[in-house]
Amino acid sequence: MPVPDASSDQGRWPGESLRATAVSRSYEGVQALREVTVEVHRHEVVGLIGPNGAGKSTLVNLMSGFDRPTSGAIELDGHDVTRWPAHRRGRKGLARTFQHSRSFRGLSVRENVEVAAIGVGARPRDARRRATELLELLGLAARADAPAASLPHGDERRLGVARALATEPHYVLMDEPAAGLPEAEVPDFAAVVRAVRDDHEAGVLLIDHNMALIMDVCDRIQVLDQGRMLAAGTPAEIRDNLDVAAAYLGESAVEEETEA
Amino acid sequence: MRRLDPWLQLAAPVLLVVATAIVGSFTARATEIYFLTAITSVAIVVAIYVFVGNSGVLSFGQISFVAVGAFAAGVMTVPLDSKQGVLPDLFPLLRDHTIGDVSSLALAAVVGAVFAFLVGIPLMRLSGLAAGIATFAVLEITHNLLREWTKIGPGATTLALVPETTDLTRAAIGTVVVIAAAFAYQRSRFGRSLRATREDAAAAQAVGIDVHRQRLWAFTLSGALAGLAGGLYVHMLGSITADQVYLELTFVTLAMLVIGGITSLWGAVVGALAVSGLDSFLSEAEQGVGVGAATIDLPQGARLVTLGTLMALVLVLRPSGLTGGREFRLPRPPRRRVAAADGASKEAAREPV
Repeated sequence: MPVPDASSDQGRWPGESLRATAVSRSYEGVQALREVTVEVHRHEVVGLIGPNGAGKSTLVNLMSGFDRPTSGAIELDGHDVTRWPAHRRGRKGLARTFQHSRSFRGLSVRENVEVAAIGVGARPRDARRRATELLELLGLAARADAPAASLPHGDERRLGVARALATEPHYVLMDEPAAGLPEAEVPDFAAVVRAVRDDHEAGVLLIDHNMALIMDVCDRIQVLDQGRMLAAGTPAEIRDNLDVAAAYLGESAVEEETEA
Repeated sequence: MRRLDPWLQLAAPVLLVVATAIVGSFTARATEIYFLTAITSVAIVVAIYVFVGNSGVLSFGQISFVAVGAFAAGVMTVPLDSKQGVLPDLFPLLRDHTIGDVSSLALAAVVGAVFAFLVGIPLMRLSGLAAGIATFAVLEITHNLLREWTKIGPGATTLALVPETTDLTRAAIGTVVVIAAAFAYQRSRFGRSLRATREDAAAAQAVGIDVHRQRLWAFTLSGALAGLAGGLYVHMLGSITADQVYLELTFVTLAMLVIGGITSLWGAVVGALAVSGLDSFLSEAEQGVGVGAATIDLPQGARLVTLGTLMALVLVLRPSGLTGGREFRLPRPPRRRVAAADGASKEAAREPV
């Protein structure tokens, strides 16, 4: 698989990547994923796009340990983690965000981030310091003591990222982080994704329907359709790929209309 | 002010229990038992809260640990000279030894913890309805073992001759220990992790929290505290049957927790004391009680009917309980308004940026 523009970085983390190799998943006879291979290295953003039902969330669930593949393997920094439970992968440097944020609604914004650090073994004092830094970075410091349930949608998305970063991850899987985000906030969010890559040196697998965001921040893009990997390449290559336009861009235009 | 908050969250429930004990010490001997019962109920309800409140998983089984604690402490403190006569079938180890009443409380806690840990290993994989039913099965199994197996206890007869050492002072001390343990737990990394799983189990797993393990710790601590409470209970009564630590106690203590507010220590304590007070009055009223010139004489069963109705009403009208499921805090409306206005102006200042 080609890894454009990232080759100079790979020497810094030899043998380290998050990799799904030929994973398949079927649910009661319905094939959600067929032999899909994805690899994310540290310090790069890989976009994963495709129409609804293409299997994007299934892939994220397999990689993060919330589901098991029917066949194929998941590797995390050289370890075969296919049978590892989600919490163990979380402790090993794999973080994720959820489609509907899933914040700890009864806890304060600060507690949401602190408990994530505690979850991977940080001491309470360090967790507190890490939370302060992350809330500052993501522009949530003013709301630190508010209950997470009171956050507006955009803030809740950023809280999800803060919580993922509190685990000091090597890789972050973001499942539609920009869904429902006001268009005006998308550039801010793109900056957040870049900060995850550049400041935290994490590899990001970014799933989203917002093509502006995807084209803006991704180093490479993979296209999933009906459970199969349809195409892979740089943002420019993907944009030029007419097959993809038929499979995806047409559909996404329809979706954006229905969402609006 | 804010730094004081955590300590108030501990001090308020402790002071409430101590105040109850002090008031109780000024009343007549006949009514003292109600104060004792109220304080012991706090210990039981707080023990249940440690698991149910922090995990959000319902358990009907915590009274099992009260039961084993009560019978362990009771059986081991019956004086040796009468023990062989009243409990002839016991295992020799249990029959031929007796321990002090304070040691028996520690033993009750250990037995409760070990039992909860063993039961919890398989059960903590469940949540929701399945967890409720499985813990109910534990209650049923425990009850039948205690009622039928005369090698570990009195069987279907009453366990009598237990030294009545739980006076108001000791009940208060024991219950404060239970409250302090619950408080320390909920502020620990374990307690905080478990509360995150209560809010969203999947999101908690994603940040490295082992849901099964965190629930098991809480279940075990809850078992230890429930066992200790059972020890206090048996030394308060002086005699006990398996039926006294079974369905009715399960119902009443869950009602206390629900009515006070399931998700806070303050709710557990307030609910236990408030419902105990009401419960005592109602059981007096079932016997006929004079209020001023009138005499209230309620029919048998009125007590549990009233408690059940009250629990259902709270669930419908105020599901988070009397305390709203929040910890104790001093009322300070003016400060909050200032803080809110401050936040709003910050928002306004941020807007143009």
